[in-house]
Amino acid sequence: MKRAASTLSAALALAFTAPIALSQDKPKPPPAWWQGKPEAMKDSPLAPHPGKMTETPAAEIPIDKIKLPKGFKVEIWAAGLPGGRAMAFGDSGKKVYVGTRLIGRVYEVTDHGDKRTVRIVADKLTQPAGVAFHKGSLYVFAIDKVLRFDGIEDRPDVAPVDLTDKFALPPEQHHNWKYIAFGPDGKLYVPFGAPCNICEPPKEYAQLRRYNPDGSGMEVIATGIRNTVGFDWHPKTGKLWFTDHGRDWMGENAPEDELNVLAKEGAFFGFPYCHAKGVPDADIKKPDPCKGVTLPIATMGPHAAVMGIKFYTGTMFPKEYQGAAFIARKGSWNRTELFGFDVVTVKASPDGKNVKIAPFMTGFLEDAKARKFWGRPAYIAQMKDGSLLVSDEQMGAIYRVTYQKK
Amino acid sequence: MLLTALFVCAARGEFDERLRTCGGCHGADGNSAMAGVPSLAGQPRVFLEHYLVMTREGIRGSELMQQLLKGVTDREIAAIAQHYAALAPRNEPGPLDSALFERGKKIAQASRCGTCHAPDYRGREQMPRLAGQREDFLVEAMRAYRENRRRGGDTIMAASLYGMSESDLKALAHYFAHFK
Repeated sequence: MKRAASTLSAALALAFTAPIALSQDKPKPPPAWWQGKPEAMKDSPLAPHPGKMTETPAAEIPIDKIKLPKGFKVEIWAAGLPGGRAMAFGDSGKKVYVGTRLIGRVYEVTDHGDKRTVRIVADKLTQPAGVAFHKGSLYVFAIDKVLRFDGIEDRPDVAPVDLTDKFALPPEQHHNWKYIAFGPDGKLYVPFGAPCNICEPPKEYAQLRRYNPDGSGMEVIATGIRNTVGFDWHPKTGKLWFTDHGRDWMGENAPEDELNVLAKEGAFFGFPYCHAKGVPDADIKKPDPCKGVTLPIATMGPHAAVMGIKFYTGTMFPKEYQGAAFIARKGSWNRTELFGFDVVTVKASPDGKNVKIAPFMTGFLEDAKARKFWGRPAYIAQMKDGSLLVSDEQMGAIYRVTYQKK
Repeated sequence: MLLTALFVCAARGEFDERLRTCGGCHGADGNSAMAGVPSLAGQPRVFLEHYLVMTREGIRGSELMQQLLKGVTDREIAAIAQHYAALAPRNEPGPLDSALFERGKKIAQASRCGTCHAPDYRGREQMPRLAGQREDFLVEAMRAYRENRRRGGDTIMAASLYGMSESDLKALAHYFAHFK
């Protein structure tokens, strides 16, 4: 950690020139939670919302509060997975693997048709948020560890293969919990977030990489990305669409979170100089900060914590939803009134133009002014029958959304 | 009906037994009189829940605490957390060194400890109460964070204490222990 902290210190020295005067040898790098926090806001009590670490029984989840467009229905599909977020279906379609952050577990949910059972397949990991399934194997990315569970659907006790060395993970933890996914090219896509709120990131960070499944052939395919924890490939164009969290402490309404398209590999998405649709950073300045920056196709709201994205390729939902992207917004902490806490649909032309964003699944937010909410939708997965699964990281539950024509 | 009542009584008995175990070190009223052992009275419920779950999972906390929490259910953990959160913290630190207290106050303000732990350091949500905590426990906990020996927390506290000297930590601990 010492080493990691000094790297960060060096990276931040230029941007933050007011070290705290304490008896110490080196200037102190501001911790990530106050980087970029202006003097005027130094007493602001805003802080990230705590998760819930204990099981919430299905009977205690206020599912009736969820609102959906006409004809859609929601049910509790699985409960008792504290901290559950990203979901990856096994090849059989009967099992879903679910990653977590602080609680350190990976769950396996088995679908028995009329009910689901949950078991823990891995634990004691450092934020194993990344899960993906490929050719019979489950891949798990913790911040400091990569594990592969071969044939786990049929061999529940299989010992994992440790691939950590192959992927050469850098040491910083902040924003380095992962979302991972295999692309249509069979390669594994892995983000490395900026290890700060706002900083000149060290060279291994603020980027998206692609690997062969065994960790070889690493390529950095995009840079200037603060923290993406959700992506999917457009069903028509095959292009990667990804969500990205905007920085904190630059105001109640700016900069907004982003929805980006990687149209050309090697593109630079602006962090730390240029945010959202061309908002220059308040702390890290340079002339022409947005020059050469690929801007988002849409902004997704201030501090919204935009998470999972899934293009709908099923036929259960009405035509107008087919080909649309569903995006979960886990909800804000860094603004006075809460924002987000919902799932929205994004309809756009295949090249990302004419974007229309509309609420789809709401009701998790009870009182924005009083900062009251009960659930935090995080990720979306599509079932074989075309229904959607939505994970709620706060309740440790997975909901299933279906549609029935009247 | 009778069966339910019996079951509830049995569960209550087990729970009281559990609390006696906790109280053996942390104090019957949650105010610790044992060197190096933290007080639990008045800690935020969410903080206690998080700590207890993560320790049971083997992600943070001491080996001893992990052993003690083996097999304790989420429901029991929630009840233990609720119990200690509702108890009144009793602030009985040793003699006050006003110079040290003032130095601690300055460092705490410059380091913005109150941003998360609340301006009166009573803690909130996932962030523990510091006011009235045992001084020896606070020093050792901060040392361990600074040296990255404390398992399982995220990196926030290590980053916040980075570069602080031993005497800075002692001043902070004295200030928090005596804070009223």
